[in-house]
Amino acid sequence: MRVALIRLAILGALVLAWELLARAANPLLYVPPSVVVPALGRLLVLDSYPELPQSLLLTLREIVIAYALAIAAGLGCGFVLGLNRLVGRAYGPILAALYAVPAVVWYPSLMLFFGLDAASKIAFGFLLGFFPITLAVLAGVRQVNPHMVLVARAFGARPAVVFAKVMVPAMLFTLVGGLRTGLALSVIGVIVGEILGSKGGMGALINHAYGLFRTADYVALVLVTLALVVASDVVASLVERRAQRWSD
Amino acid sequence: MSDLIAVERVGKRYLTGSGPIEALRDVRGGLVVPDGGRVVVDGRPVTGPDPRRVATVFQEAGLFPWRTALENIEFGLELQGVPRGQRRAVATELLGPLGLREFGAKYPRELSGGMRQRVAIGRALAIDTQIILMDEPFGALDEQTRLLMGEWLLDIWRRTRKTVVFVTHSLHEALALSTRVVVMTARPGRIKSVLELPMAYPRAMESADLIALRAKLWSDIRDESLRAMGDA
Amino acid sequence: MTSAERARVLVLQVVSVLALLGIWEGAARAGWVDPLFVPAPSAVVGAFGRIGPSALAGLADTLAKTAVAYVLSVVLGVSLGVAVGSVRVLREVSGPFVVAAYGMPKILVLPWIVLILGFGTAPAILYGTIHGLFPILVLVMGGVRDVDRTLVTVARAFGASSWQLYWKVLLPAIVPTVLAGMRLGIVFCLLGVLIVEMFAGVRGMGFVMGSLANGFQAPELFAATALVSASSIAIVLALDSLNNRLSRWR
Repeated sequence: MRVALIRLAILGALVLAWELLARAANPLLYVPPSVVVPALGRLLVLDSYPELPQSLLLTLREIVIAYALAIAAGLGCGFVLGLNRLVGRAYGPILAALYAVPAVVWYPSLMLFFGLDAASKIAFGFLLGFFPITLAVLAGVRQVNPHMVLVARAFGARPAVVFAKVMVPAMLFTLVGGLRTGLALSVIGVIVGEILGSKGGMGALINHAYGLFRTADYVALVLVTLALVVASDVVASLVERRAQRWSD
Repeated sequence: MSDLIAVERVGKRYLTGSGPIEALRDVRGGLVVPDGGRVVVDGRPVTGPDPRRVATVFQEAGLFPWRTALENIEFGLELQGVPRGQRRAVATELLGPLGLREFGAKYPRELSGGMRQRVAIGRALAIDTQIILMDEPFGALDEQTRLLMGEWLLDIWRRTRKTVVFVTHSLHEALALSTRVVVMTARPGRIKSVLELPMAYPRAMESADLIALRAKLWSDIRDESLRAMGDA
Repeated sequence: MTSAERARVLVLQVVSVLALLGIWEGAARAGWVDPLFVPAPSAVVGAFGRIGPSALAGLADTLAKTAVAYVLSVVLGVSLGVAVGSVRVLREVSGPFVVAAYGMPKILVLPWIVLILGFGTAPAILYGTIHGLFPILVLVMGGVRDVDRTLVTVARAFGASSWQLYWKVLLPAIVPTVLAGMRLGIVFCLLGVLIVEMFAGVRGMGFVMGSLANGFQAPELFAATALVSASSIAIVLALDSLNNRLSRWR
């Protein structure tokens, strides 16, 4: 309780300091909260950017598609690599090496290939979400106690049953953690993609505001985008908590 | 508790659960302040860790994994600012009696459980205090290793003549090693009974007087164990 | 892994990479994919020569900025992580802020950084540092929290002062965590620097790659991508070998 109050006080002090410093330095550049709040109001009543709903929806759609693809490919790849010893040994290290490359190096190629529209953002969001999901499946498969699989087989369970009743529950916790990280990265991928170059979505609006030095609008747009990010994480954490209860 | 520590050697028995553990941790290295009363060693109160007078061995060896066996043994001396050459000499000399002559340069993960515990005891011996507290030092070891470690500890004790306060759950350990056994109650941890064991070492565990003492000790402990089980 | 298995794994790796390149080359030559977008591997190899000097200059520029950002990230991340991790008040008060900052898409503040610092080296270093700092900070905080309590108890029983607790217990104990953070941090720093170069660069590999993409120079772009990827992997492998050497005790 006391800690929460201290945190709140610090947050308040930061906002206040920002306000004072921004006014003292350059309100146009450092946009104090007193300027941000009206700008946020204008944005939300669709005054400054009437196309806000469409942009938000486009970004959301890109995220959903990218994440769905990442889940499908991540689970598929993860299980193929995890369940087949030889394939896992061969391709696991290659995957790990690719993970050591900053993902943004692929973005120019994706932009070249898919163009400036939604497809390149979806592809980049997919790529970012794909790795943590695959790696979580690989780690999860390794966590499954081989003894449990043996016991299930001894009781006559068919492979599909072993998979559903033994493996998935045993690795659920790790799996869901990977899915959550995957979502966060898919979201980041789409947003990074949009800001590095796009014709639509929140990134395009942010770039527009930034390009015209409309800093107050820019900050308001960033706050709306952040709300989207936080909302997606809240949904993911609810799902994760549900899964935690299952796996106990 | 002053008489407890003033005695030459005490085997102490207390029960798992809680109360007594905290009570003894008061004493153990002076890390915890007792609920009531005072902790006194040689007439002087203990108010905090006191490595000049009391050395401690824990149930987990608690070795620093990034230090070799030798460097672990040197740890206490290093904290006290003893020059490198001097502390290295002390630790090297201890390796022989510890049975670790070939293992000075090994890291803890390369040592067996018994070896690790001997390093921990060596670390306590190195700072050369009159009193050593051992909190279930062999509790995490397997039965055979535990018996051998007991024999080894007796040998060390007879050579160094330090006062060892030895906490154990094992009747065998208490009877084979101690000159005096103090039975602690389950919760709160108070002294229940004190047994004197004047027999010579090594002890024949099948001798009539030890069997009688064992029965007496067990009856004292049994009540407390039952109470502890009931609490849990 | 037996040596026979190791051999089979190696064969499978080599064969699949070669097969992939072969199919790719074949597909490009047969005209199944548009070479404008997906150039044949042979064309990419040829492109290395064409972009050679400018790409190497860009790479050097990028890596120099990354190095500065990396040093800043490690120094700040480790010192803040130790402070926040070991002082309870700091940990409880600032923990949520750190986690929130770690999870936030940092790209959202990039336009603002560029507005303030302009185009050039400074925003790249700042943004790279922001990227590298948080994973290191979060890892080190966790590492400090997870230090084996027994070791702290032992040190206190042997009379360690606070200063000795830090130097002889806490810092050696978190060395593996710091190394893990350093491994993670370098990739993040490079990521941050490349993003700035792509977004508002006038030099560096990110700028080079962005320009190649805008100019539809696919073979050159693929060659540049391969070059950056290879350097990143090489740096991470070098850190791994350093890691192995420094933690013989594990």
